[in-house]
Amino acid sequence: MSKLSRPPQGESLGLTNCPTCKFLCHLDQGSCPRCGQAVQSRDRTSVQKSWALLITAAILLFPANLYPITIMTSQGQVRQDTIFSGINHLVHLDLLPIAIILFTASILVPMLKIFGLALYLTAISYRLPISKKTLMAGFHIIEWIGRWSMLDLFVISITAALINMGQIWDAKPAPAATAFALVILLTQLAAKVLDTRLLWDRLESKDDTN
Amino acid sequence: MTQIETPKVVKKKLFSPIWLLPLIALALGAWLGIKSIRESGVEVRIHFPSATGIDVGKTLVRYQGLTVGKVVDISIDDQLQGVYVDLLMDYRSTPFLRDETKFWLVTPKASITGVEGLDALFSGNYIAIQPGEGDYKNEFTAEDQAPPVAPGSDGLMIELTSPSLGSLDVGSQVFYRQIPVGKIVSYRLVNDDSILFNAYIEKKYAHLVKQDSRFWNVSGLALDASLSGIKVKTESLSAILAGGVSFSSQSSSEQANVNQTFTIFEDKEHALGGISFSLTADDADSLSTGADIVYRGITIGQITHTQLTESGVTFDANIATQYAELLGTDSQFWLEGADLSLSGIKHASRLVTGNVVAFMPGSGEHQASYPLLAKAPQHTQPPLLLSLSAEENPGISAGAEVRYKQLPIGQVDGVEFKPDFSGLAYRIQIWPEFAKLIHQGSYFVAESALAIDASLDGIKVNTRDLSTLTKGAISLMQGRSKKAVNPERSLPLFANAKQAEGYLAKQSRLKIVLASPDGAGLAAHSPIYYKKMQIGEVQGVNWRASSEDFAIELGIDKQFASLVKPSTIFWRNGALSVDASLNGVKLDVAPLEGALKGSVSLGLLDKDDIGNQSHLYGSETLARAKATPISIVFDASTRLSAHAPIRYQGHQIGQVERVKLSQDLHSVSVDAYLYGDYAAPFLADDAQYFIVDANISLSGITAAETLITGPYVSVLPGESGNIVHDFMGSVESPALLAQDALTFTLVDDNLGSVKIGTPIIFRGIKIGEVKQVQLSSTGTQVEMTAQVASGYRHLINQSSQFWDLSGIKVDLGLFSGAQIETGSLETIIAGGIGVATQSATTEQNRIGQHQIFSLQPKLDPDWLKWAPNQQSLH
Repeated sequence: MSKLSRPPQGESLGLTNCPTCKFLCHLDQGSCPRCGQAVQSRDRTSVQKSWALLITAAILLFPANLYPITIMTSQGQVRQDTIFSGINHLVHLDLLPIAIILFTASILVPMLKIFGLALYLTAISYRLPISKKTLMAGFHIIEWIGRWSMLDLFVISITAALINMGQIWDAKPAPAATAFALVILLTQLAAKVLDTRLLWDRLESKDDTN
Repeated sequence: MTQIETPKVVKKKLFSPIWLLPLIALALGAWLGIKSIRESGVEVRIHFPSATGIDVGKTLVRYQGLTVGKVVDISIDDQLQGVYVDLLMDYRSTPFLRDETKFWLVTPKASITGVEGLDALFSGNYIAIQPGEGDYKNEFTAEDQAPPVAPGSDGLMIELTSPSLGSLDVGSQVFYRQIPVGKIVSYRLVNDDSILFNAYIEKKYAHLVKQDSRFWNVSGLALDASLSGIKVKTESLSAILAGGVSFSSQSSSEQANVNQTFTIFEDKEHALGGISFSLTADDADSLSTGADIVYRGITIGQITHTQLTESGVTFDANIATQYAELLGTDSQFWLEGADLSLSGIKHASRLVTGNVVAFMPGSGEHQASYPLLAKAPQHTQPPLLLSLSAEENPGISAGAEVRYKQLPIGQVDGVEFKPDFSGLAYRIQIWPEFAKLIHQGSYFVAESALAIDASLDGIKVNTRDLSTLTKGAISLMQGRSKKAVNPERSLPLFANAKQAEGYLAKQSRLKIVLASPDGAGLAAHSPIYYKKMQIGEVQGVNWRASSEDFAIELGIDKQFASLVKPSTIFWRNGALSVDASLNGVKLDVAPLEGALKGSVSLGLLDKDDIGNQSHLYGSETLARAKATPISIVFDASTRLSAHAPIRYQGHQIGQVERVKLSQDLHSVSVDAYLYGDYAAPFLADDAQYFIVDANISLSGITAAETLITGPYVSVLPGESGNIVHDFMGSVESPALLAQDALTFTLVDDNLGSVKIGTPIIFRGIKIGEVKQVQLSSTGTQVEMTAQVASGYRHLINQSSQFWDLSGIKVDLGLFSGAQIETGSLETIIAGGIGVATQSATTEQNRIGQHQIFSLQPKLDPDWLKWAPNQQSLH
């Protein structure tokens, strides 16, 4: 594909969308004539914002997995489960499908998301030997699958609300639940805050190498 | 649009504030990490004999209910003798993990004595921890069971030893006066021959355990079956099922130390101990281990062991603590078995149970060994010999027991007659130790095996033991006198308590003797009443030949003695006295007992009146009237009966008490009373007593009331000052020959219709009457004594003519015709004597004292014409 065959970019025409109201503004105007929001063609700071959130999420991933996520009381017996021990428990109970879902949603997805985001952020700053097509596909997957990580928290909040019989049977969220929720939240934010055009720019520029 | 806008200078920030976020997260994570490393807990390894009931991850470690750790791993030890349980302890429990720290598994356990570890039923088994002293350590060996003191309780721990476990178990209760005060927490075998129990006494009862407390086993049922009955003893239901230990303490002792060791005795008797000593004998003679040591019938100890020695047999004996003081240097022991004799079998139970050891107390320190005598020794001190006197034998024979408060204190040696046969004399002996019970005032009462006391108060049945029945027994009673007894003087023995009471009461009674014409229905013990309250009793009724009356001895109880004073009177009570008159009926019922036995009443007259304290009146009325007794002799024909009144002018002044025929049958002797107030003029020796009986004649009825009431005694007062009490009475009323009446005599051939009471009629008016009629001494004439009232005496003089007015005279003449002459109707029926006087009465023609007139059979008509002018002469 030749460079000329591609349609012109807004940046090259000195035009860009207002990030707030999507009004097409001139870059040299500085701010959106409609809503007054400052406009610029690319948000270069979004990369480090995203990095910061991602790193926070990565840090929080440790307590989320190491600390118990639920405290179950059953007939006076208190049981504290981490995410992994919970899955382990399900496996022992021969509930493999549920264990797989839980494993995917609670462990695999957050980790993949962090890893994937880190990969894309690196790809923005540096040249990576990954094809544009693969990156695009991966990005869609991450965006789509990310929301499913909240499943774990839904389950915990529902059980905590339903199972409440004191010493006999009780379920409470443990500290890891907060951490886990933060991991999910921060990864979502990290994905959201990133100005994906930077990635596309990068992909455009290195297109010729592929 | 050429205006050039000033360019905005946008400073490019080196770092976005967003980078604070990972820093915070990092810091947070680091803090959490450090914290979790710090609080990661301590690994502790505990060796358990088995992993039963322990689950990895599930079984927790708890201290006082707080979870301080949990089991993280279980592994089998190298020798395959047990398991290692790895615990992850809370980091805060590190200070507990020391040398003496104890771990044990708590499992729910339900037993008779209670439920333990109930919490473990829900939470599952857990490992309990009891902190201890020492250095830090993290490898332990688990205890088999909970350590003695439950954590956190600070009661008293004591140790108890016992040769056998009995039915004690962990959890068996410790009782104090049947209150559970603690429990056995563990036991173990020590030295292969005794069992050491750890017992825990609750803090609030810890002070009950003293240095010298005695413990004994109360497990199960203590069944003591013997011929004397079955005794079942137990502390509580849990003690029956789960065993228990009881103890007793001397309150004065010091409190027990912690972990002081006590011995558990077989039973209470053993625990309370006693004095152990040995008895030596040549042969065992059916005396076996367990035989009783008996003192006065009470078991005070037992033979605990029998063994053969070279010289004979040695018995180990034990006397209960409470009897320890009876044991002295000179105590004696001898064999005693059943006693078969003609008088019966004594101690029949010993035929079955074997011999017992009888015991004689001594003084001084007890010895370690005593000889066991074959026979009862003689008393070392001479017994007190006494003589008792009784009127008759109340069934006491030689060998009978002498008792005091139903305990034997001596025995009867013999019984014989008194030298004068007036009663019985008993020889008794009182054992020396009881000699001081006997005083001068002491007396004895025969015990009856079966005393049935049926009285108006009800029926009382008293029974005593069998030996009383066969041999009899006598009881010592303490009298008032506390003076030492004089063995020479005999003490009284009574047949029963009532007799004794009577005797004692007699001693202190005021004695009064009353004379009574009859026995008055009284007998000994008849009660004496004052205002219907018993104040004494009749002690005896005796006949006195000299005065022909009864002497009634009264005994007035001491406290009523003051009732006997000059104004006191006594009368006998009728069972029922009915005082019926036209005014109404008064009914007085005597107390029932008095009614049956006869009784005497005591009464008091008005203050100044003087009563007679030596006479028993027939009734209260008599007594109150201070009646004076008199006796009148009448002709035997007298129809007089007891209770006939004595009257003067129609007023009752006395009463006949008794009428009795004399031995010669010619007379009756009448005992009567004159009421005190009127007695004096009627006691004069010239007072006249006569019988008033109904007299029915044509002229009327005299004393008509006697037709119903019977004859009564009438009396005319005397005037002389001589007082007598014996009178001669007459059947006829004495002629009322008034002193101033004119008395003369009429004579006639025949009495005709004249009789006593025939009126003398002057001009149709009755002026007098015939008082007496009698034959003249020659028998040729009838003499009629007539009396004319003094008011009419002047109408009669020597010229008076008397004729018979009786009947109707019909004079039939041929020429004169019929002439019928009648007097009044009364004279027609009752007869009458007419009188006419010819001349006026003068001094010359007055009639003398014994003037005799002839009673003319017929009226001369001329007489009726006589009409002298009579002047009353004065």
